[in-house]
Amino acid sequence: MMALFVLGCQKALKENPKGQVVGSQALSTVEGLNAALTGAYKPLGWTWITGFNTAALAAVLMGSDDLTTHPASNKADLREFDQYHVSNLNGRMVNIWNGCYKSIQGANNIINNYKSTTGDPAAINQIVGEAYYLRAFDYYWLVRLWGNIPLITSEVYDPAVLKVTPSAPAEIYKLIESDLGNAEKLMQDKKLDDGRTSKGAASALLADVYLTEGGWPLNDNSKYALAAAKAKEVIDNKAAYGFDLVSDLNTLWQDTRVGTRTSEEIFAIHNCGTCNWFNSNALYGSSAMPGEENGWDDYFAEIKFFNDFPAGTRKDVTFHTVIKKTDGTAISWQNDAVKHPYYQKFRAPVNGSTDGSSATVQLMRYAHVLLIYAEAQARSGGVNQQAYDCINAIRSRAGLSPLSGLSDSDFITAVISERAWEFAGEYTRWFDITRLQILPQVIANRDPSENAVIGTPQYYIPIPAADLQLNPNLGN
Amino acid sequence: MKINLKCAEASWRTMSKIFLIMKLTIMLLIVGLAQAGAKSYAQLITLHEKNVSIEKVLLLIEKQSGYHFIYNDNLGILKSTTLNVDVEKQTIGNVLDQCLNGIPVSYKIFKKTIALKETEQIQNEKPVITIQKISGTVTDEKGDALPGVSVTIKGTTTGTVTDAKGTFVLNIEDSKNVLVFTSIGFTTQEVVVGTKTSIKIRMSVSSDALNEVVVIGYGVQKKSDLTGALSSLSAKDFKDQPVTRIDQALQGRVAGVEVVNNSGAPGGDVSIRIRGANSILGDNNPLYVIDGFIGADFNNLNPDDIASIEVLKDASSTAIYGSRGANGVVLITTKRGNSQKQEITFTPIYYNSQVLKKMDLLSASDFATTVNARDAAVGISPTFTQAQIDGFKTNGATNWQDLIFRNAPGEEFKLSLSGGNPKTAYFISGDYLNQDGIVLNSNYKRYAIRSNINSHISDKLGIRLNVAAIRRENLNNNNQGINSPVNQALSWAPTTPVRDALGNYIIHDPLCSIYGNPVALATDQTNILNNSNLNINSGANYHFFKDLSLDVSFGVDYQNIQGEYYSGPSITNNIPGASRTSAELFNLQNTNTLNYSHTFNHVHSLSVTAVFEQQKYTSTSFNANANNLTFYNLGFNNLALSSTQSAGSSYSESALISYLGRINYAYKDKYLLTVSVRRDGSSKFQPTNQESTFPSVGLAWKLSEEPFIKNLRVFDLLKLRGSWGLTGSQAINPYATLSTYLTDAFSAASSFNNNSATSGIVLGNAANPNLKWETTQAQDLGVDMSFFNERLTFTADAYIKNTKDLLLSLPLPAYAGGGNIISNVGKMQNSGIEFNIGGVPVRSGKFTWTSSFNISFQKNIVKNLGSLSSIFTNSITPNAGSGLSTQSEFVIKTGYALGSYWGLKYMGTWKPGEAADAAKFGQKPGDSHYQDLNGDNAINGSDFQIIGNGTPKQTLGWNNTFTYGNFSLNVFVQALLGLKKLDYSYASSITANADAKEATNAGILNRYIPGVNETSNIPAFSTTNIDYFESNRFLENGSFVRLKNINFSYHLPKNTIENVDIKLFVGATNLFTITKYKGFDPESTNSNSGTDVAQSIDMGSYPNSKTFNVGAIFKF
Repeated sequence: MMALFVLGCQKALKENPKGQVVGSQALSTVEGLNAALTGAYKPLGWTWITGFNTAALAAVLMGSDDLTTHPASNKADLREFDQYHVSNLNGRMVNIWNGCYKSIQGANNIINNYKSTTGDPAAINQIVGEAYYLRAFDYYWLVRLWGNIPLITSEVYDPAVLKVTPSAPAEIYKLIESDLGNAEKLMQDKKLDDGRTSKGAASALLADVYLTEGGWPLNDNSKYALAAAKAKEVIDNKAAYGFDLVSDLNTLWQDTRVGTRTSEEIFAIHNCGTCNWFNSNALYGSSAMPGEENGWDDYFAEIKFFNDFPAGTRKDVTFHTVIKKTDGTAISWQNDAVKHPYYQKFRAPVNGSTDGSSATVQLMRYAHVLLIYAEAQARSGGVNQQAYDCINAIRSRAGLSPLSGLSDSDFITAVISERAWEFAGEYTRWFDITRLQILPQVIANRDPSENAVIGTPQYYIPIPAADLQLNPNLGN
Repeated sequence: MKINLKCAEASWRTMSKIFLIMKLTIMLLIVGLAQAGAKSYAQLITLHEKNVSIEKVLLLIEKQSGYHFIYNDNLGILKSTTLNVDVEKQTIGNVLDQCLNGIPVSYKIFKKTIALKETEQIQNEKPVITIQKISGTVTDEKGDALPGVSVTIKGTTTGTVTDAKGTFVLNIEDSKNVLVFTSIGFTTQEVVVGTKTSIKIRMSVSSDALNEVVVIGYGVQKKSDLTGALSSLSAKDFKDQPVTRIDQALQGRVAGVEVVNNSGAPGGDVSIRIRGANSILGDNNPLYVIDGFIGADFNNLNPDDIASIEVLKDASSTAIYGSRGANGVVLITTKRGNSQKQEITFTPIYYNSQVLKKMDLLSASDFATTVNARDAAVGISPTFTQAQIDGFKTNGATNWQDLIFRNAPGEEFKLSLSGGNPKTAYFISGDYLNQDGIVLNSNYKRYAIRSNINSHISDKLGIRLNVAAIRRENLNNNNQGINSPVNQALSWAPTTPVRDALGNYIIHDPLCSIYGNPVALATDQTNILNNSNLNINSGANYHFFKDLSLDVSFGVDYQNIQGEYYSGPSITNNIPGASRTSAELFNLQNTNTLNYSHTFNHVHSLSVTAVFEQQKYTSTSFNANANNLTFYNLGFNNLALSSTQSAGSSYSESALISYLGRINYAYKDKYLLTVSVRRDGSSKFQPTNQESTFPSVGLAWKLSEEPFIKNLRVFDLLKLRGSWGLTGSQAINPYATLSTYLTDAFSAASSFNNNSATSGIVLGNAANPNLKWETTQAQDLGVDMSFFNERLTFTADAYIKNTKDLLLSLPLPAYAGGGNIISNVGKMQNSGIEFNIGGVPVRSGKFTWTSSFNISFQKNIVKNLGSLSSIFTNSITPNAGSGLSTQSEFVIKTGYALGSYWGLKYMGTWKPGEAADAAKFGQKPGDSHYQDLNGDNAINGSDFQIIGNGTPKQTLGWNNTFTYGNFSLNVFVQALLGLKKLDYSYASSITANADAKEATNAGILNRYIPGVNETSNIPAFSTTNIDYFESNRFLENGSFVRLKNINFSYHLPKNTIENVDIKLFVGATNLFTITKYKGFDPESTNSNSGTDVAQSIDMGSYPNSKTFNVGAIFKF
């Protein structure tokens, strides 16, 4: 009996962390590296905690004319973005900030440690390539929203990180370009799974990065040619990459409860609402729906934007204009509580669950590549037939007549508008307004009944107060 | 009989003086109370005296044994006869037989009194004219005959003792007609006889506090010999109220101990602090030691099994628990059998609980009118038509508070059996408690059984075995926070019905809350936690010789925790889910104690204790989750029938190896010294930091033993105490020094398609291999006083505790991956004073009022945070008011106390004359005006400041018992003072915020209305107003004084039913509260009981209830 209880001294004080994944050994196998990659994707779609699948995404882009929010209700935090008066206390933006940086940490871990992994080199390359893509993707979002940001490339905590000063956008873009270059080299042409990324996706994102670099704040016009070339490369290899336009716009938005998987998706967050609430899509459904339909009124379209939107199939697919109240009566958007039209794309079938669905958040579509090419070509080599083909493919699907015979600048203006309409509500318009520095015109064009602007409109949002408190150098 | 019981319990190790009394007690147990022959008494007397009078010998025997001699003054022979005595470890009987051999004196022993009589005197008493014969009966409080009470004539040694029937006969002289009645364990009484020839005396049990023996760590000590600050409670201190858990016994009764019922759910969370919080990172709950088993869970104890509770407060007492003593120690001793008397006790109690109060919310028509007013103010279409508003006026609407709160019945049955024979005693008890919570569909059940057996196998060897099994079943007692029935009852619109036309729960409130339907949250989810615990504590005690003993004990504590969770379709957007969790905790303890005690030359009393102890903690768990259940009514009972499943498991173990020693030394019972040292080795740290030493020293001076004080005849006791010592806190979980990944589905699984999630790994908190103990150095100065034959007692203590190498969880910036790193930085100080006054203010005839009052003042200050000036902790309610601010509500800042609120200073609303100033912030009159600390015309993180503190500054308790004959009334008042509460429940009901689209609180009717009510500080309806929750606008005075308990009992006259002793009682808990706090209950909070960093936030915390009870105690 005694023997049973006597523990043995020093031996008893040695820790035995069975059940824990400890230290760098975790990445010594391909399986471990792959698990770390899954963990690097995670922060992009951790519902309500971090990432891109709640109205936080609509919030940070709300300065744009395709998005606005309720003037009262519980929308004070969303309104701050709509009114260009964002406090650094705002809790919506941290979903994006925290999610991108946590994903960067996961990517850094893979990029800095994959050399110790043993296993199939092709499998390792694919994983590392995806990590490079994620790091570039994350920094691309951060730099466009916040401007000067900390540039972190180590996953290990070092006290010096608490004193880091922010880096200028040019430095961030340098890393983004380099990472996407690596990502292109290391990955296979096609995605291994719907929610992952591929060589084709890396090239498409790089084309978008070049286009942005051509505008504000870098204003490096030489990038337009690179953007056109890169977009063309994707278009030319679309079969190999598995990308194409869907013929019917509806197929992109018809399954908002169970999620879509189409050839048009270049990079998308795939959600599984039936798995867990923390892997679900809370950006679509209730968030985008009117109060009269039990929605949350988080975001909807501005009146002028809707009115300017050319009629046709695309307008019908994009907007929800007849509101069916719970008592069965129907009213037009002009008579709903907020007197605004809603997005059809992002709503859910009214019966059954309206939030926490499995809907796919499409962050980049093949249609983007076509319009990147069209604009970049017009800005670099001048508009050509392929540029017309690109925009007209989008227009014809939208139910609009093809364009022809425009000057370069009119063509560019047409592409900018086309991008606004094609990607209405889809995380594109605000960045166009930013890179082209057209906010004053956009504000001037607003309907007077929209939420009033407070103070001087800003293109960047403030560094979150929590991080600023930990490192006041970020204010420099 | 308390002293006897205590001694028997603690008989295995002690100091010399105590040891003698104990030994005697054991013998008493063996022999029984009958007037047995003196030879049976094995009390051991050692005397080596030459040429002394018999009277002197008797005095010496009194001193050694605690026996008391009484005899007539005229027994001059005792003075005049001298003799030599040379006895070694002889029984009293033997010694007396030797001494009285050959003189005409005989003796009789009654309990602890020995009466001497002249052998012939009975026949040859000289008749004296002035002598009167008096006879009488002496009983105890219940009216039972008291044998062995000494009855003496005041100022003489003349007297007698009562016989088995409690009667006595005595001849007294007229001039000396005051009788003194004394008996151990009872208060001495003096009675003027006058011309009476017969009297009846009722003796009351004395507190006898000075001779009380208390349990200290690894031993016992006479209370008057303590050098440390220790508070002691015995079962009788809380016998007058129904106590279902130990915190109710401690609450308000011990100075320096703060008890807060964070959750009012039956069996809910409770926070107990002894002299404040020492640790920022670690758990600040005290260490519980039940019958020597360290780290026991007080929830796993039936309070009816408690014989005594000792609260160790200063380092001299707690250092013996070394690395875990920093938060104070609560020692609990369970009851032992009483071999003198077999007793069966049966106690049924019935309860009924109600919510303390309800919040004043808008009626449906007022709500509708208010919503329309807001619509108009922001320029949108009105939500309600006039017809609808009129409809609400006539038809009323949903009163969510009425729907989720209820009258909650409860019942408890306690049965205990105690008895034994001279060698073996047993105590067996059972308890069944079934208590509904005041929130719909919440319930707590407890089943407990205990068997304590102790046996003296021989004079030298004693063994004991305590086995306790308990099962606790919690149903929905943990549903707190934003998405809880309580909070949502304040957030759902009164105009929204519970169910739709088809009878299904309405899932979304179209107008107000974004969270679940309150009634659905209560009834369509199941949150079951079943905890089964088995504690086996065994030990043997061997006396090598009188002074040296060895005690070896083995303890096993096994907990099995099963969780069953189900979330129905109405609260999961029709994606019902369920899960099961299972955990096993297995703790082992072995303690080996060697004790030596001896008194040298009658003046140096020494007790030495040496201990080797080892403990091991292992816990394993697994869980299985299913989502999108195919048949949701099968819930957690069939997880396979679901579209997705996930599983997890974990393992953790830690060990502690300790050596410790203690010396207690007393010189002439006046100067007392305690020195102890403990060395602990813990597996939680890396080898270089694994071991640490915790010394302590305590000194006390019993001034009342000094002649110059004694001669004052004021004090029964006057003692000064001082102590110093080090204690530690491990504060960290196993593996904290290692860098580990998060692997659970919540933190690390990603979805790459739309019907499954892939598991992954995510970097967890940064590792710090250099972690070491947190150390608290504590000093205490105290004084104990007792006056008027212990009718008034007073204790005061002042202390300072300095904690260094504070283990802090430093939050890392999100851009560095977030999370925390644990580090040893910083210093913190707790200081305070505490007073305890007890006494019997009134004792008059049948009426007695006993009262005890305690108050503690305590102050905490963060002295140093290393290179940082402030630390922001993770928000405990991360989604409260979400969207508007994600700042932590609390800051840890050098120069301030723990629990400091971090927020914006609310200046009221912008007033009409301030339009220009308001415009700088994009605001207008009627909007919230916050202090712009840095003057940048924007309200942001740089405007946050410390706006208050959530830790009580004073705690007090006042306990009174009034008895009149067989009636007894217990009134217990408790107060927590000097704290601020952050009232998120109010905030979320008075504002439209990220979680609720409209205000529901009736207070909104008094808002600022331009042109109508421009003085209000409740902001107007506006598109430019921002309501920040983290602001002193929602900070309220959380002080309260509460009639915690009132209980009235009636003891039925003896033999109302033959051989059954019956007491009936009726009472109430939390009957009324004096507070300015707006919420349901100032006491309940969302804080976790262990931490003090974030406390006193109330957001849908489960409120405490007003509970009525009625019951009876039957003794057979």
